[in-house]
Amino acid sequence: MIKMLGVVIVSLSAGVAVGGGFVAFITVLGIIPRMMQLTKTARKIVLYEAAVIFGAIFGSYVSLFEPQFSIPPIFLLAIGLCYGIFVGSLAAALTEVLNVFPILAKRIHLEEKIIYLIGAVVFGKICGSLFHWLYFITL
Amino acid sequence: MSIMKNIVYIRMRHRIQVKENHRIRVKDVARIIASKEQTHRLEEIPVYTVTKQDQNTIVIDCMAVISAIRKYEKDLEIQPIGPAQTIVEVIYRIRKPSMILFFLAWLVLFIGSAITIMNFHEDVSMQKVQQKLYFLLTGIKEDKPLIFQIPYSFGLGLGMVLFFNHVFKKRFNEEPSPLEVEMNNYQQAVDQYIIMHENKESVKKIYD
Repeated sequence: MIKMLGVVIVSLSAGVAVGGGFVAFITVLGIIPRMMQLTKTARKIVLYEAAVIFGAIFGSYVSLFEPQFSIPPIFLLAIGLCYGIFVGSLAAALTEVLNVFPILAKRIHLEEKIIYLIGAVVFGKICGSLFHWLYFITL
Repeated sequence: MSIMKNIVYIRMRHRIQVKENHRIRVKDVARIIASKEQTHRLEEIPVYTVTKQDQNTIVIDCMAVISAIRKYEKDLEIQPIGPAQTIVEVIYRIRKPSMILFFLAWLVLFIGSAITIMNFHEDVSMQKVQQKLYFLLTGIKEDKPLIFQIPYSFGLGLGMVLFFNHVFKKRFNEEPSPLEVEMNNYQQAVDQYIIMHENKESVKKIYD
């Protein structure tokens, strides 16, 4: 009984730490404010928070309990797209936090052409990802 | 009323560009408000002449402008408003952005981001996660869940574009994108540095 209680306390603490870290990470990168700004739905902030929390809980449920669904594969197109958009925003936010573009554009005097540099990164990500799934993993 | 006439309001510009050997006048570095006949006269007062030793940036302090004006007009009350100095950027020749350099930077970013995303996928074992997820969601065992992975790949690009908000700018809103804000912050940090570090020197140069 005592042992069980100990396990519960340890795992609860671990969960709090990981959950806090996850939210802090998302917050620092500013992905949610960005989505609210784009969709002009800043008033629905509570719902966005709920989306992240339920997403994280559902994700842990799927990975720990391994429930079996039978969704037709065609729906995975939409799920995959959302998944990609999220990871893409994450990557963009990280690049932005690291100040890569402002410094690079200033160094080579290309302030007006910065959109093409962003294009390079975006196409690079798409090509790299496609190459990875279509070819690299079969090696 | 007679006192009012002698007040001159002066506001330093933030950043200006001048050519080599340019004689900087009051109107270049500041906007002033005075009585009509005074304004024109005051604007033409020279403040500083750019020389080769100045290199790329000079900071003209508000004090220098005031003292230049006072050399010509003794009994004016000068009221400075806003920034206390102007950053002067000396342009020696109009620099054309090099296409080769641009292409190289483009290539570095393209190849670099392609390979980092592959490394990221390997690092988090995304293939295994996606196979498992595909099985859990559909109940079908599939080694290459491409129907999941190809939309993911395009979503990756879409997410970045949405974040930087360049393509859809007109459609969504006119607010600046995080990148534009970041560029502005960076420029301000650089300006702040210049103001702190160049100012002492340029003020000393004027008085010696």
